Amino acid sequence: MADATTPEMSLGEKLQALPKWSLYVVLVILTSVPLFAKLEVPNKPVEASIDFYGKIMAVPDGSRILVGSDWTNSTRGESKGEMKVLLRILMRKNVKFAFYCFDPQAPQVVRDTIREVNAERIARQEKPYRPFDDYVSLGYFPNAEGTCNAINNNLLAAFSGKKDTPENSGPKDVFESPVFAGVKSVKDFQLLALITASSTNTVTLERIKKIPLLFMVTGVMVPENQNYYASNQIVGLAGGLKGVYDLEQLMEHGINNPGPEMIPSSKWGVVPGFKGALNSGMGTAYYPTLHFALLLLIVAILTGNVGMFLAKKQAKKGAA
Amino acid sequence: MDYTFIKMTLGVLATVGLYSVLYRENKFYRFWEHVFLGLASGWALVILWTETLKSTWWDKMLGATNNSGQASVMGYWAYAALLPIGMMGYFVFSKKHNWISRIPIGIILGMYSGQQIQVWWNRFGPQIDNSIKPILPTSTASFFKPGTSGLAPDAVAKINSTVYPSQAITNIIFVVTLLSVMSYFLFSFDIKSKMLKNTTTLGRWLLMIGFGAIFGSTVMMRFTLLIDRMYFIWIEWFKMLVLRQPG
Repeated sequence: MADATTPEMSLGEKLQALPKWSLYVVLVILTSVPLFAKLEVPNKPVEASIDFYGKIMAVPDGSRILVGSDWTNSTRGESKGEMKVLLRILMRKNVKFAFYCFDPQAPQVVRDTIREVNAERIARQEKPYRPFDDYVSLGYFPNAEGTCNAINNNLLAAFSGKKDTPENSGPKDVFESPVFAGVKSVKDFQLLALITASSTNTVTLERIKKIPLLFMVTGVMVPENQNYYASNQIVGLAGGLKGVYDLEQLMEHGINNPGPEMIPSSKWGVVPGFKGALNSGMGTAYYPTLHFALLLLIVAILTGNVGMFLAKKQAKKGAA
Repeated sequence: MDYTFIKMTLGVLATVGLYSVLYRENKFYRFWEHVFLGLASGWALVILWTETLKSTWWDKMLGATNNSGQASVMGYWAYAALLPIGMMGYFVFSKKHNWISRIPIGIILGMYSGQQIQVWWNRFGPQIDNSIKPILPTSTASFFKPGTSGLAPDAVAKINSTVYPSQAITNIIFVVTLLSVMSYFLFSFDIKSKMLKNTTTLGRWLLMIGFGAIFGSTVMMRFTLLIDRMYFIWIEWFKMLVLRQPG
């Protein structure tokens, strides 16, 4: 008759056999509780983020840029923070923009984010951005490759037939919008800022060569895009939550602005921030919490390895 | 109960439902998964028509008339030829006529292939160019590259064209990494040279370090997405909507 009692596990085996659900419970607690506290994490913005901020701040007030947006709610944690930072800067500098998307869900997500940033502005007695007059939605384009080629070579053909709806009016041709006043080619835009969570980053840099490119990408895309930044294919890069937090700090302190919290850069002169404005956002809210999650990951890796080491030692002892 | 509350509560239920698969496969998860798939497919179809086909194909094909019924914009009827070409793609489902589907696929492939040489160079050319770096310093006046802010353009150009020792060291690390990693992919002959063997081993180690850094970025992103969902549930829904407190 087989022995029904199970042999007692050693400490090493126990450490390696922690129930999966217990890790999930601890993870949920660690990613929830810190959100209720206003924590601050010291931060040094990376050069790519500083260049992003410097370049977008160098766009003359009242001019226009092109915005590509290819994120949806699946990457809201990173991409929405990036979009809000970009919108806040553009609106404060009164820079007009036209946005296009290569994902069917993206145009609505952008409109919702613009509405949120406009609500912030109204609450602070600032002028909200009006559709058609201050920004234009060019909508969804199903073929990224063809559209990027067309934008680079013949912008008027690329956006021909597209309509957007002004306030209190029916749809109008986008070329009637003040955003497109005098526009004949993509060179009439100061730069292209792309917020993406997909491969449209490469599609864009392979095909749009006539204006500088700024990328805002998700964390998983940072290593790839770092190459494009290092080889000057893009002039600025905001990557993941770190990029959002960097930009929020840069909006608060500027670059080389004398003071106790100066963010230094040897590349840039003094670039002002927006002291006193609403600069904190999703980066400030999520970045401290991320550190708690990373702490759990490190503890879990250490626990598993210590467990494996002890179990191996035990097995060697048993064999001897 | 207002619309926002219903909408957000459904969002919370969907979030919890989709995460419930971590415990085990269950019907609650399946339900929300199918809701998501249905919504995404339906939304994509509508957007394809309202934001793309109608404005860039249908309206242009039909043209427009003014209030008196006369043509104000002439219709571009050649666009009608695009419909049968597109519809040919659906013959992929026919066993007898599926060769027809290869015509539009061939057109797309041809257009795509034609772009590839230029596209490849646009993507990798600047990176290859940027890989050729000086590894010897041209000035030892300063170990680090001096700051350029506030300097005259001539002075900035002079600093930028000088290789300082710290830059030379960085460039050496880059060049060694590049060459050793490339040597790891020399599969077409048997590597007998001890030096080359050591170089490929170094390349493999550096690749592993690179993959570790990439994996770290990936993990951070996944955590951020989880934190965002927790923020949605606890702050946006529970604190701001249920308890009516400021975020």
